Amino acid sequence: MSQQLSSKPFYDEPIEGKQIPLALARDCYAVFACRHKFCREVCPVYIEDRDESHSSYGYHTALLGISEGLGDIAEMHETITNCLECGACETRCPNTIFAGDFYGTSTTTVNLIRKVRRDLVASGTNFAGYDEVLAQVDKYLGYFDGPIEDLTRWADGLDLPFTGETIMFVDYFNAFETTDVPRNAAKILKAAGVDFGILALPGATLGELLDVNLDKFVEMGKYNVEVLTKAGAKRVVIINPHDYVYFTREYTQYIGELPFEVVYITDLLDELVKEGKLDYSGGTGADTKVTYHDPCTLNKMCGVNASPRALISALPGVEFIDVSPVTQWSYCCGKGSASFKVLHPDKAYKIGTTRLEAAADLGVDQLVLACPHCKDQFTDVQARSGVPVEPVHVLSLIATAMGLD
Amino acid sequence: MTVTTSSDLSAIISELKRALGDEYVMTEYHQRAIRTASASPFGLHLWQDLLPDVVVMPASTEEVVAVVKAANKYGVPIVPRASGAGLADGAQPMKRGIVVDIKRMCEILEIDDADMTVTVQPGINMQELNKVLRPLNLFFPDDPASYPVNTLGGRIGCSGWSLIGSGYGHLPNLVCSMEVVTPTGEVIRVGEGGGRKIRKSSVGYRIKDLFIGHQGTLGITTEVTLDLAPRPEAELPVFFATRTWEEAHQILYGFNHSGIRSIAGMFAFDEWKVDFLRRDDEAWIPLPEWTKSAVAVCLYGTNEEVEGVKQRVFDIGESAGGVYMGREVSEGDWASRHDRYHLAYHGRNKTKDKIKLMSWSCEDASITWSQLTDVRLEWHQIIADLIDKHPEHFDDWGMFADIGNPFRAWGDYLTEIDIGVNEQEMTPEIWADWIEAKKAIARVSVAHGGSISMAHGGTREGEVDVSCYEELAEGQFELMKRIKRMLDPNNIMNPGKYNLDDAYTEEAQA
Repeated sequence: MSQQLSSKPFYDEPIEGKQIPLALARDCYAVFACRHKFCREVCPVYIEDRDESHSSYGYHTALLGISEGLGDIAEMHETITNCLECGACETRCPNTIFAGDFYGTSTTTVNLIRKVRRDLVASGTNFAGYDEVLAQVDKYLGYFDGPIEDLTRWADGLDLPFTGETIMFVDYFNAFETTDVPRNAAKILKAAGVDFGILALPGATLGELLDVNLDKFVEMGKYNVEVLTKAGAKRVVIINPHDYVYFTREYTQYIGELPFEVVYITDLLDELVKEGKLDYSGGTGADTKVTYHDPCTLNKMCGVNASPRALISALPGVEFIDVSPVTQWSYCCGKGSASFKVLHPDKAYKIGTTRLEAAADLGVDQLVLACPHCKDQFTDVQARSGVPVEPVHVLSLIATAMGLD
Repeated sequence: MTVTTSSDLSAIISELKRALGDEYVMTEYHQRAIRTASASPFGLHLWQDLLPDVVVMPASTEEVVAVVKAANKYGVPIVPRASGAGLADGAQPMKRGIVVDIKRMCEILEIDDADMTVTVQPGINMQELNKVLRPLNLFFPDDPASYPVNTLGGRIGCSGWSLIGSGYGHLPNLVCSMEVVTPTGEVIRVGEGGGRKIRKSSVGYRIKDLFIGHQGTLGITTEVTLDLAPRPEAELPVFFATRTWEEAHQILYGFNHSGIRSIAGMFAFDEWKVDFLRRDDEAWIPLPEWTKSAVAVCLYGTNEEVEGVKQRVFDIGESAGGVYMGREVSEGDWASRHDRYHLAYHGRNKTKDKIKLMSWSCEDASITWSQLTDVRLEWHQIIADLIDKHPEHFDDWGMFADIGNPFRAWGDYLTEIDIGVNEQEMTPEIWADWIEAKKAIARVSVAHGGSISMAHGGTREGEVDVSCYEELAEGQFELMKRIKRMLDPNNIMNPGKYNLDDAYTEEAQA
């Protein structure tokens, strides 16, 4: 399970106009002082637009400049929207790599971006595109108000209980936009003999809330922990890597230690493969050449990158051309981990196209995914760009190999 | 250069927006602030005075020409900026004006794998370029310490040095030809004679060299044709620990005189550097307690070349007192050559009992082997004196000596002392002492027959006076001024750099 190496309570102290808390200024200085900008070169946004104000160096330096009396946070209301919140810069930052463990001062750009966006909103200067993000938030929060049965309609016919020591957590995006992902996950787990349940009414897990309303995010987090506990969960299986970040990094930060184990679906399935519990004898051989796309949230933020590769490698009929997870620090589907696609649809498309073209350069038929947001985004990008690589979720390949379609 | 007024600025910004589009003409505070610093300390107290007025991001030669012509028309300075990772402050605006950020100009225009050249725009970085070249079994062998971020434009502007330059040449040796927009907006092609892909010609003056290492004072490179190399079959790093600096120094001597042609790079660490790298640095490979210095050498070549001299490399190192640290340490150290950076958190006060966030200052003189030891001791003494005076503001981060002669592993060494500088607590008075220390460091280099900078340029406050008025005193600086005035009659390009404002005094023009 991932954890944040650095606790930065000064992020809770708001920036107002030209006033930057001293501790925050010092933290920004540590990134500025590096000045070698490795962070910039792995940023998928910078790779597309070449504007270093959209890099970790750019954001930290701009804030440091405000602390030196050079500007006002309100001037950053557009620039601050140009972050995917993907975590590449944090991972590549020498402060994280070489000093994070020892000093507890890893670079935490994603949290900084979210904080600045919230501070802008609180100070009455909404960041550009705020209304669109809010509309997105309202849409998804509306699902919590019912009808309650809509939230589990994806599971129709699967006969899943609402209790269990293992609970598969299904977020709203999966429940409404990519229903094949939870259905395949459930079918595979059932076929492997795993006893598990789901929640009748899960709370919202929206990255957008971290940009606009932290209190609501935490409120929903507390609700999720409570209902999971009440459902008897000792282990929670996550099928959206964004949720995996929220449970393992955000909930632990804002709520505290969780009373259950949290496991990502690919890690669990990898264990089941090793135990011989996934039976590929009844399925059809895929006869396909694939590569794998590391979801930013899983790879850059949580360091989970081995299990999807192991699962793909074990699939019959699949030729796997791998690209190292370190190389993939600079890749992203373009959707970002929260609001980016809503804020910058054109850049999101370009970033996604660049990634899909990198897969095409390998001569593969399919780009295997482990994230519903990546699946959604690449499906759009592929349709629009015509790049001849089919995006496919790893659970779909496994389900086919097991004859569960 | 005329004094810019607010009406000039307003007019030129409108003109620039017409030429480049609104999106690529930026006046917001943060866009200007982040493009003020380069990689050297500058003291946060100076920031306000160094902010440019406007940032532009052209995408083509035509757009660069439009910017340069507008700047001449309104008398507004131009400062070219590439990666901003230079250590000589070349990209730092001294007189406000327009920062021309060239990073959007990042296209690969032609790969000629038969004749082994590539033609690119200046905003591409070497790592990006080499990813594309790899399937062709070619690479562009410029390998500076900040390889993952440096762009070609910046490398040209500072006449860069490469970690493997003793095998493959340094940046100036790797440029076949360039398209340059001059300070008055003309577009010229400079090269070896007139051939775009020619590496050696005797036709005409060596004009190309004038446009390498000028720190943005003579133009903006908008296209460059580069020499490529076949990827080496074999790469063999060998790391020796030593008990004294003198042993390390003798190992360098042994390699200098060995005649081994496959040595691509070689460097020594002194005891201050070893101590510094032991500070909580997860990248540093633990060495035995007795280690006071070290030498790393790396061979690049065909399998036969590298295998054939391998034993001789071990013999040279061990006969001078070196202890081979094994394959894991050797490969690990070489692999981390681009990441050996000096983190702010590694700064300490004099008594080493407090963490002081510091930024990295790097002096990089070109010194011959015989002078290394004396220069080293004199430099450390200068910094020790500075630390005695300001115990909370400076920290000696040790020295490297890297081989610097292009294509051959003997002769000059890039002699580097790294110094932690506490920018956040800087005052004008302490800054003045720092500048004096830098002058003293530069004077040591000159006194020992060296040059102030092998890799970065001699333009920073402190050393710039020594470089112009002492190192280049025998007529070179006078000629630089005449060339500058001829090519840039309005002093538009990076005014103030290299003291070239001197070229425009009444006395100079008389």
